[in-house]
Amino acid sequence: MRRMFLRRAGLALLLMLAATALTFALVTAAPGNVAALIAERAAGPGADGEMIARIADELGLNDPLPVRYVRWLGDTFTGDFGVSLRTGKPISEEFAERIPVTATLLAGGGMLALFYSLGLGLWGATSNGRFADRILHGIALIGASTPNFFVAALLVIVFAVGLGWIPSFGLYGWTSWILPCVTIALFPGSVLARVVRVNLQEAMARPFATTGFAKGMNRGEVLVREALPNIAIPYITTFGAQFTLMIIGAIVVERLFGLNGIGAFFIEAIRFRDFVGMQAVLTLFVVFFVSVNLFVDLVAMLVDPRLRRARRA
Amino acid sequence: MSEPVYAVEDLVIDLYTPSVSVRAVDRVSFAINAGETLAVVGESGSGKTVMTLGPLGLMPEGVTIDLRGSARAAGKDLVKMSPKKLSSLRGGQFGVIFQDPMSALNPMLKIGPQLAEQARRFAGLSPAAARAAAVSLLARTGIPDPEDRYDRYPHELSGGMLQRAMIALALAARPRVLIADEPTTALDATVQAQILALLRQIQNEDGIAVALITHDIGAVSVLADRVIVLYAGRIAEEGSAIDVLTSPVHPYTRGLLASVPDFRSDTASGTREIPGLPPDQTRVLPGCRFADRCPQAEASCRTKRPVLTCVGGNEVPHRAACPIVIRDEGLADND
Repeated sequence: MRRMFLRRAGLALLLMLAATALTFALVTAAPGNVAALIAERAAGPGADGEMIARIADELGLNDPLPVRYVRWLGDTFTGDFGVSLRTGKPISEEFAERIPVTATLLAGGGMLALFYSLGLGLWGATSNGRFADRILHGIALIGASTPNFFVAALLVIVFAVGLGWIPSFGLYGWTSWILPCVTIALFPGSVLARVVRVNLQEAMARPFATTGFAKGMNRGEVLVREALPNIAIPYITTFGAQFTLMIIGAIVVERLFGLNGIGAFFIEAIRFRDFVGMQAVLTLFVVFFVSVNLFVDLVAMLVDPRLRRARRA
Repeated sequence: MSEPVYAVEDLVIDLYTPSVSVRAVDRVSFAINAGETLAVVGESGSGKTVMTLGPLGLMPEGVTIDLRGSARAAGKDLVKMSPKKLSSLRGGQFGVIFQDPMSALNPMLKIGPQLAEQARRFAGLSPAAARAAAVSLLARTGIPDPEDRYDRYPHELSGGMLQRAMIALALAARPRVLIADEPTTALDATVQAQILALLRQIQNEDGIAVALITHDIGAVSVLADRVIVLYAGRIAEEGSAIDVLTSPVHPYTRGLLASVPDFRSDTASGTREIPGLPPDQTRVLPGCRFADRCPQAEASCRTKRPVLTCVGGNEVPHRAACPIVIRDEGLADND
């Protein structure tokens, strides 16, 4: 199993290199001239061609793309993401301030999605085919088909504006996290609830579930103790995929709820054509995607006794 | 004779799936006593599993059943029980072995702890005693190095070993009835013989009642004291294993026995198949269900349901539901 994991890790590293190279090329190819931008910011509209050429030369922008990629890669590995073209601050400083915000949002959203999906899925399975099951199915379906900006607006109208319970914008204590977390958790939670429900139903029809009943268990016990462990692998895999996708939700949600996280920084970077900032954030996303997937692979391997003990058998 | 450990009377079971309804069991009665093996024989779909496991509430997910009649065990009627009481009675009184141990054992659960839990829950043992009981049960069912196997997952054992583990699991709660639903069908021929020998050994040692659901006539001849031959949800013939296997009366039983391959014959001519297919059980028609495939069928067979009639037997009455054969061969035995 260790060999299998090392191979996955090696593959993940290659994937990160390929993905960063691709984003590097794409960002470079995007319209806009970095040297001209810098010159404009420094000298206002009076920047002339000579100044732009000098800046491009200083920054090494005239070197061939592979050379620039390798130089960028080296800097990034040492923690130097460059200086934001928009704020003029080193991006590593921006990250140090903003990563905790986004991490809290993702952690909160992930936890909510976990509890929501397991709760809804299990409850649906215990009330198999009855009225409650259909209602729950409907709730999950609505949750999985409502865009998060709409959900956010709805939550703000009800809980912040209408009831005035919790803030709708910015960070004022822990209650500020509730609406953003709920917003990004709703879609993945609803998708996962379906995964739980469908896989539980499938597991309950397998012969080992009948064995569970024969052991004297009631339906609830068979569901939780026999069927639930068997859905762990599809659940963990889907959870990983949904969790990485939550970063997209975070971009929208940080913007809507005025949270100064990575997502908000990314949007600003795009608006101001802050190529350095964009490249840094995209790199962060790549690392996040690949490492979450690697982690999920590892957990799935540890959970499945057939994989975990492959060498002992 | 003491009260049977599992007795079913006038049982009717209708199965409903979203698309069809089937009368799977049609007015069947049987009883199993402690220390005896009752074999229930019939082809696939004849209702042998539904008849034995249906009253216990062990039906596949998505199938709704409608039970009528009575099914008594431990002084209670299972048909009238609440699902909760039924599940605890099921765990304590009945042990069940299924056809394919590879799929019947949960791939995510270790084998030993499941046995220990049964011993704790239903035999009232302490955790330490339950673990010891589980290990000795694994040893008893012929699993080598039981201490090591206790912590193994199903994928780490072979099919034969898994069926032994399944038997151990079924026995862990110290049940009074062991129901073996085609316990050898999914196994290799050499392993089949070992499993049958193990079942016989357990029965000799424990005096437990065994219901053997099978279509393997060989297994019946090795294990069974009594036999019920089921055809399309009805009992065609019943009696002691010797009577039914050596002097079958019902044309279906005769056909079934004739279709068993004879190893002494070097051609396929040694076997004879029963022509035709089992009847459509979605419709309940009057008359004998075997009439369409029966070589001796007469007009009356299609209009009047045959009743089980005694045709001999010593302590165990030998009964068959075929008035034609009984009349033609003068078998009626009114005692």
